[in-house]
Amino acid sequence: MDWSELQDARLAVITELASRAPGGHIGRTALMKFCYLLQIVRGVSLGYRFTLYSYGPFDSSVLSDLSTAETLNAVQSNLTYYPGGYGYQIRQGEHANSALEAGQDFLNRHRGSIDWVLREFGSHGSADLELESTIIYADREAARRSETLSIELLAQRVRDVKPHFVEEYIRGKASQLADKGLLKACRNSVSAR
Amino acid sequence: MDPHRIYEIRCPVHGFVALNDWERRIISHPAFQRLRRIRQLAWTDQVYPGAMHTRFEHSLGVMHTATLLYDSIVRNAKDVLSRELGYDDAGFRRNRQLVRLAALLHDAGHSPFSHASEELFPDQENGEGKYGHEQYSAAIVRGPLRGAVEEHKLNQGNYGFTADDVASLIEGSAGAKQGIFWRDLITGQMDADRMDYLLRDSHHAGVQYGRFDLHRLISTVTAIPGVGGEPPRLGIEHGGWHAAEALVLARYFMFTQVYFHKTRVAYDIHLREALKELLPGGHFPAPTPGELEEFLKWDDWRVLGLLAEGNGGEHGERLSSRRHYRMVYQTNEIQTETDRKKLARVREALGELVAAEMPAGRSWYKRDDTDIAVYRNFGGQRTVAPLSDHSNVVRNLGKNDQILVYCLPERKQEAAKKVEEAIHGLE
Repeated sequence: MDWSELQDARLAVITELASRAPGGHIGRTALMKFCYLLQIVRGVSLGYRFTLYSYGPFDSSVLSDLSTAETLNAVQSNLTYYPGGYGYQIRQGEHANSALEAGQDFLNRHRGSIDWVLREFGSHGSADLELESTIIYADREAARRSETLSIELLAQRVRDVKPHFVEEYIRGKASQLADKGLLKACRNSVSAR
Repeated sequence: MDPHRIYEIRCPVHGFVALNDWERRIISHPAFQRLRRIRQLAWTDQVYPGAMHTRFEHSLGVMHTATLLYDSIVRNAKDVLSRELGYDDAGFRRNRQLVRLAALLHDAGHSPFSHASEELFPDQENGEGKYGHEQYSAAIVRGPLRGAVEEHKLNQGNYGFTADDVASLIEGSAGAKQGIFWRDLITGQMDADRMDYLLRDSHHAGVQYGRFDLHRLISTVTAIPGVGGEPPRLGIEHGGWHAAEALVLARYFMFTQVYFHKTRVAYDIHLREALKELLPGGHFPAPTPGELEEFLKWDDWRVLGLLAEGNGGEHGERLSSRRHYRMVYQTNEIQTETDRKKLARVREALGELVAAEMPAGRSWYKRDDTDIAVYRNFGGQRTVAPLSDHSNVVRNLGKNDQILVYCLPERKQEAAKKVEEAIHGLE
């Protein structure tokens, strides 16, 4: 894929996610983590380079592409406030169809993966998405080093990064991800112990 | 030698950069000294002749700036950090030193001429795209620099850092543990890297575009408490939002006037193509134990030597004779559907006359998101809002999606005529 095709593909995926998200809108955290899950878990070649921050895997290029999608009116973002913070509601824009058409072949190839991410993670809140994607990130790092981890050890590593979560909660989330077959270094909660 | 001695190095931007004996030993290592032979802005001196500075001085500047930011955040939000990350005084001292080392070494893995040649990094074996320079930096810290990082008395007696601790923070790995919170100071929206490079690049290029109120920005940077299970995040106190606005504008001006200058971009294209001729297999060695040593042999001197011997092919010749590609068409910075259609017509009319295209979004210096959090605590009433909610300028500063189209210099007239015919009546 050349640069222009990749750009069309990314804009189409962003537009599709915003258009089909539960409630008709998606937040920035959800958009970031859905792109991460699509690329890393489902192998959708979006060409992002995610690295870890305290708020989970992140690549500023996703927000850069979101900004392009906003300029083209493929999506529109509205600022919303909540106690102690703010967020964005990203919805389908007036020219969504142009973006979807430009990346139609790519979308058709990966429609199953987009269905999957929205089905499995579409209803999760920002904090949970940050945690779940961090668990997967730590798991993939271990897998690259050919390590086998127990749920406990994986949860401990994630807690080191996200100390504001209690370890039991992280273990529960990691077990759920393992049971769904989404972890590589930590296949399930029993065999790796 | 007194391990507690403090040294100072002159810096054209910050005055003096102070360093301890441990950091001085790291800087003296050949793997770090290599940065003296890697220019910060590649061939930008062809447009701005003063821009000959190196990654070496920038790395020192980033360490200095990261320290100022760290100290200010601790001053402004010690309670937040103590409560949410559990730091005591030893924890604050430890993380300060970790941030300094990561900032100092974050660019150790740059290839010759910095970002201009990054597209020639090889693909990763796990299918996750090309390696990035941070992965090279981390590999150098874990490899050749391991001894210099781990074996100094100041480390052994006070911190006990491993090379992995520093490398994990640079590359963004779970091994950074709770220190990952500080990664935004190394690479993030308001990181020490961009604060330093905007000022340094402006200084050496002889332009004013990258200037902003560094000290006001630093004095107002803070940690904002997390809500709803989210971690604390970096942001700016309300009193500093104009300084943050100026940072955003500085990035915009530097991008349009320096980093994405049409001639500078042309030189990046030629350098990349010439390097394909010079590098075995057309790409750099990987940041793996078997290839890292070979990678470290690549610096600007070696590339310039090979180009001087005529080994860079057609593009090497264009670099040395200044017969670089000429820009024949540029889109608007903010593209509409009409702009896209116009570009399509230009491409069709030019056909094989298009020698290269460069979209702003592909540039390493592209202006990313500007969503800096602004924190206000007014009589116990705490609010957080994005910078764009305060600043009309930032709110309306759309993303630059400009595309530059180039042709051969010898066919510039022919190409320009075709462009004029293609867009006639569409302006």
